[in-house]
Amino acid sequence: MSAAAVEAAPAAPSGSLIRKIAWHWRYDEKRELWIGWWTLVIFYNLYGVLFFVLARTQPPPEPSLTPAEIVQWFADRHYGLLYGYALVFIVGGATAIMNATLAYTMRRMSVSRAFAYSYLVIYALATLPGMLIMGVVCTVGAMRPDRDPELMSWLYDFAFLSFEGTMGVFLIGSLVWMTAVLLDKNRVFPKWFGYLNLCNALTEVVVAPAWIFKRGVFAWDGAIAWWINMAVFVTYTAVFLSLLRKMILREDFGTGPLPELESESTGALEAAS
Amino acid sequence: MEPVGEGGEELRRADGELILLWTLPVLGVIWLSAFLLFPGFVQPMSPTMSAEEVAAFYRDPENLPRIRYSMIVFNWFAVGLIPILALIVLQMRRMAHRTPIFSYAIIACAAGGPTTFLMANLFWLTAAFRPERDPAQTMMFNDLAWVTFSSQVGFLIAQSVILALAIYLDRQERPVFHPWVAHFNLVVAALLVPAAFVGLALEGPFAWDGLLTFWVRNIAIGVWIVVMGVVLGQAITRQRAEDEALAA
Amino acid sequence: MKTAASTASNPRAMARGHADDGRFVPGQPDMWAFVLFEALVFTSYFTVYVIRRTQSSDLFLQSQSHLDLRVGVFNTLVLLASSWFVARCVQAARERSFRAALNNAYLTMLFGFVFLVSKVIEWTTEIERGFSFTTDEFFSFYYFLTGIHFLHLLIGFVFLGVAVYQLQSPARRSQEMVETCATYWHTIDFLWVLIFALLYVMR
Repeated sequence: MSAAAVEAAPAAPSGSLIRKIAWHWRYDEKRELWIGWWTLVIFYNLYGVLFFVLARTQPPPEPSLTPAEIVQWFADRHYGLLYGYALVFIVGGATAIMNATLAYTMRRMSVSRAFAYSYLVIYALATLPGMLIMGVVCTVGAMRPDRDPELMSWLYDFAFLSFEGTMGVFLIGSLVWMTAVLLDKNRVFPKWFGYLNLCNALTEVVVAPAWIFKRGVFAWDGAIAWWINMAVFVTYTAVFLSLLRKMILREDFGTGPLPELESESTGALEAAS
Repeated sequence: MEPVGEGGEELRRADGELILLWTLPVLGVIWLSAFLLFPGFVQPMSPTMSAEEVAAFYRDPENLPRIRYSMIVFNWFAVGLIPILALIVLQMRRMAHRTPIFSYAIIACAAGGPTTFLMANLFWLTAAFRPERDPAQTMMFNDLAWVTFSSQVGFLIAQSVILALAIYLDRQERPVFHPWVAHFNLVVAALLVPAAFVGLALEGPFAWDGLLTFWVRNIAIGVWIVVMGVVLGQAITRQRAEDEALAA
Repeated sequence: MKTAASTASNPRAMARGHADDGRFVPGQPDMWAFVLFEALVFTSYFTVYVIRRTQSSDLFLQSQSHLDLRVGVFNTLVLLASSWFVARCVQAARERSFRAALNNAYLTMLFGFVFLVSKVIEWTTEIERGFSFTTDEFFSFYYFLTGIHFLHLLIGFVFLGVAVYQLQSPARRSQEMVETCATYWHTIDFLWVLIFALLYVMR
């Protein structure tokens, strides 16, 4: 690990984006972390576009559709589903590097490695109910529009229930991260982010009624089971992305507490004393 | 600690790794046999078959045992590649990186590929369990199996791209893998991309029996396994020689 | 720099919440971020409930009459009592009489436990009378809101456990941690009062 970076780095160029990227690729000590961070930012946005705009499976449709309406639903977004999920399948593996980067934050903490490894494995598993099963089932539904409406209805239910209803992985994953942040003495993340993980975990619990209700606020498209949940999840994601960026800026590749950024008065104060 | 004892321990560890590596040819033979045994692979089943034709394929007394036994073998050995991926992770740990992010990412990918293949395997076995089922249902399970099998290239693509990135950033005098291994991985990743579009066409190169989705994809995976097996063997042997030199 | 930062970890971090900001909040300021965020989430649950209630007020009123107001009042009193004990626990810890603080923490737990038991009894009685989660929309909300609150209370026991762990040994006794745990406990009490008003009282 210590063998890296023998070349003396020239100053970062201010020119074109490509030259900047090339400089970071060559000289930036933190390139691995930045690759992870940019993958997170780009792919969260890309998944948003694919699910909301192209495949149009989010926000979710009503669970109470009749089989004939479900056939119509598949017909309405035939190419959106097929192209949208094809792209999801191609870039879906990017979650590996995203989760590896988040697991690294736990490795940088003063806690046991067990936290990083649990997080990594839990979220690797989460990719299946989190998007891949839904993608496969929607593709199968869309590729033969003339299939028996009863079977189409089964595919529709299976796609959305697997996607909306499997929340345990995110629940336990958030709790693992919460515990790590609260126990950490290296100040990788602020403690309030630990508690925010608890908020996120608690909203995952709230999705469970989606397995029971076909209409209303607790159904898989409902105000409580979907909309409030999504609002919390989007806030949580935006928060951890910005905290992760800050953490990378502060990273010193040591094992002790992370230094605060220069601009922060409290950090400068503590470092000075 | 005695340097001799330490060296001996290192030797034993490398030996264990070589044993794991030698499971690869055995696995290759098993996978190839199961592949040839499954009647739907040698001449891949066409997506244009009608529900009755699909049902007849599963009901055919010639086919049915071959479907079942080949898929049972795949069910046993689907996860067989994971030890090899673990060996790749260990080699990545020797690369000149500042963080373990890339090796973590390969661990995250390692279970993904086999799991998606297992899902396809379960759909095939379920279709074959009651061939007398309504043909429309048999066809749905057959569709689910083929679409899962063909489209799930995401983890394999990620695996190759991450490995390539890791090799490019392995900046030391004698890098663990040659840069051509990284180029090769990027080519394999690119060859796997078309298979994701399997749902778009029932005929032509993108269909699940087509040139790109079936032949290019599966041959690329096969070549990747062979090439990575060889370079992994070289890397482990070199590591063992270095360890021995250190111990001496 | 590193050593300065690591020695700064415990007592300095404790002091930070009290003095440096110039404004006083008990416990970690981080816990207050949690309280605010949970308050927002619960406000949205309550808003959805009130909207659905105004849309079908007859059904809600009729189903509401099957709840026993006395049980609700009892729950509220029990939880208010537990909140009072946790406040006394904080006060005692501040005065450094840790024996009393511990006793008050145990009393908090006891009343919290009474609440949990009475809630389970109430749920089983309602289910025996034929009112389950899927009976109608009012009962869905009833089980949902009381259930998610129940879960918060269970987590509250973890926080109380942390407070007790802090108080037990002279080596620890972080006043900040005790106050943080008490803040959480007060929050679930406060949320219960709102849930009680919305489910049992509001006509």
